[in-house]
Amino acid sequence: MKRSPLSIALLAAICIAVLAAGPFLLPPFYVRVGQLMLYSAGLGLAWSILGGFAGYASFGHAAFIGVGAFTAGLVENSAAGLGPLWLLPLGLIAGGGACAVLSAVVAYPILRLRGTFFAIAMLGVSHVCAELTNNVDFFQGSLGLNFPPIAPASADPADFFYWLYLAAGLVVLFIAWWIRHSRFGAGLLSIREDEDTARMLGVPTERYKRLAFVTSAVLTGLLGVIYAHSLGYITTDSVYRDDTNLSLIVYSLLGGMGTLFGPVIGAFLLVFVTQVILARLLDFHLFATGLLLVLLVLAAPGGVVGVVRSLRRRRDKLAGAE
Amino acid sequence: MSAPAILQVEHLSKSFRGLKAIADVSFAIAPGSITSIIGPNGAGKSTLFNLITGYLAPTAGTVRFNGRPITGMATNRIAELGIARAFQIARPFRDISVRENVRIGALFGKKGLRDVEATTERGMKLASLAHLADRRASALTVGQLRHLEVARAIATRADLLLADEPCAGLNPTETAAMIDVLRQIRSSGVTVLLVEHDMPSVMEVSDRLLVLDAGMLIADGSPHEVAKDAKVIAAYLGTPEAS
Repeated sequence: MKRSPLSIALLAAICIAVLAAGPFLLPPFYVRVGQLMLYSAGLGLAWSILGGFAGYASFGHAAFIGVGAFTAGLVENSAAGLGPLWLLPLGLIAGGGACAVLSAVVAYPILRLRGTFFAIAMLGVSHVCAELTNNVDFFQGSLGLNFPPIAPASADPADFFYWLYLAAGLVVLFIAWWIRHSRFGAGLLSIREDEDTARMLGVPTERYKRLAFVTSAVLTGLLGVIYAHSLGYITTDSVYRDDTNLSLIVYSLLGGMGTLFGPVIGAFLLVFVTQVILARLLDFHLFATGLLLVLLVLAAPGGVVGVVRSLRRRRDKLAGAE
Repeated sequence: MSAPAILQVEHLSKSFRGLKAIADVSFAIAPGSITSIIGPNGAGKSTLFNLITGYLAPTAGTVRFNGRPITGMATNRIAELGIARAFQIARPFRDISVRENVRIGALFGKKGLRDVEATTERGMKLASLAHLADRRASALTVGQLRHLEVARAIATRADLLLADEPCAGLNPTETAAMIDVLRQIRSSGVTVLLVEHDMPSVMEVSDRLLVLDAGMLIADGSPHEVAKDAKVIAAYLGTPEAS
């Protein structure tokens, strides 16, 4: 079933327009939920470039949120004389750059590990970064770091960050889409399916894994920088969060591992369930997330996208039989 | 030898904790031929393939491809030079279609200009898989998976194909089809190095036979010559009427 490029472009434009209209239509609480959905979808997509496309599921991507956020905060505070218009770009460059350096260095040893070992090693990276941020005075992790306001005076900050997350999410989506349809993406897919065979076919597996890792880390870091600005004040605990480490995997599992829209659907779904449906149950949402995950893995290991695909296949088969 | 060799193996040895899997093996392969390596189980045939493709590093000796030493090179670099391998136990990318599998071979493999879609279609056609292009690899039979291995390897535009027991476990009809595919590959200009147990097929398709026993090369010649070689009969064939 192929649709024409024109109808896809039209559909995409409508989706973007509807999402962009969010702040005009939604009550303030739902604008906050929308922010969180868009932020989570962006994170899920960035995670998926490594975890979904290449099959290297990281359990420590909060490391890059934290490193991005703290680097941006420290740099912006030391350049406070600049106007608010320049601070965010400066923070993004600094935070993204720090994540690029960290991931490029960590990539060499850590990408030799596969499967669970890689996931756990990444959890270690996340915890080491958190401990350093907390205990080295220079980073001010335990004291906390203030971020200068960057939203223009004419806009409500909540609306401003909603649109910022939307723009960032679209950029990440575009990058993920491009990778998926490129030679690089085909190489990552072959690595996920069988790394030794991929190498035998001439796929430069080591280089591709590093590239996917750095891309994923930088995009995660950039989102972390925006997140820190939307909070206005961060401590170690507000950015290096283990529930983020967990959620990033859940988004892909829920929506469909390795698919383009899987992490987006998963993030929207999980944020909606935890923030809206279970919001009054406080910490109960962690239990609910776990339960949801177990049921999902048992009932639909391919996630939402997997269920839709198998329904479509069944329908096509029925149509073919007639 | 008239034409320069495409593959030269010189004094190649590989030991695993003192056990000699390959012991001082030397040979050269002429371009455009089908050469079969035969020998009893454990003779070192798969180890030899692993050494040529860079999957294992030799203890001693060199491997040259088109005159260039490739010993110690990374597997993917060797593939970029133009050596491809079809595994004995098929290792398809299971979750994607036949065409997508072959396409990954066409996207990577030998360096240089490429027409990915045309190479993909050609690879499937050569391995007579075109009619299954849209089928998921996980839905193929054992025989079809072997063809997929070969198609994907050929799509890398390799000049040398190492085929590791492509006929193992196939019924006579499937074996005949595979032999036909190997012949077509040779006539398309690709040199084939074959490890195979099915003796009638080997005798039929090979231009030359190399016989390995306990890691050593014990015979080298045309199928006809090798079949009469006393050492080979003793080590492997067992009965003279095997040909």
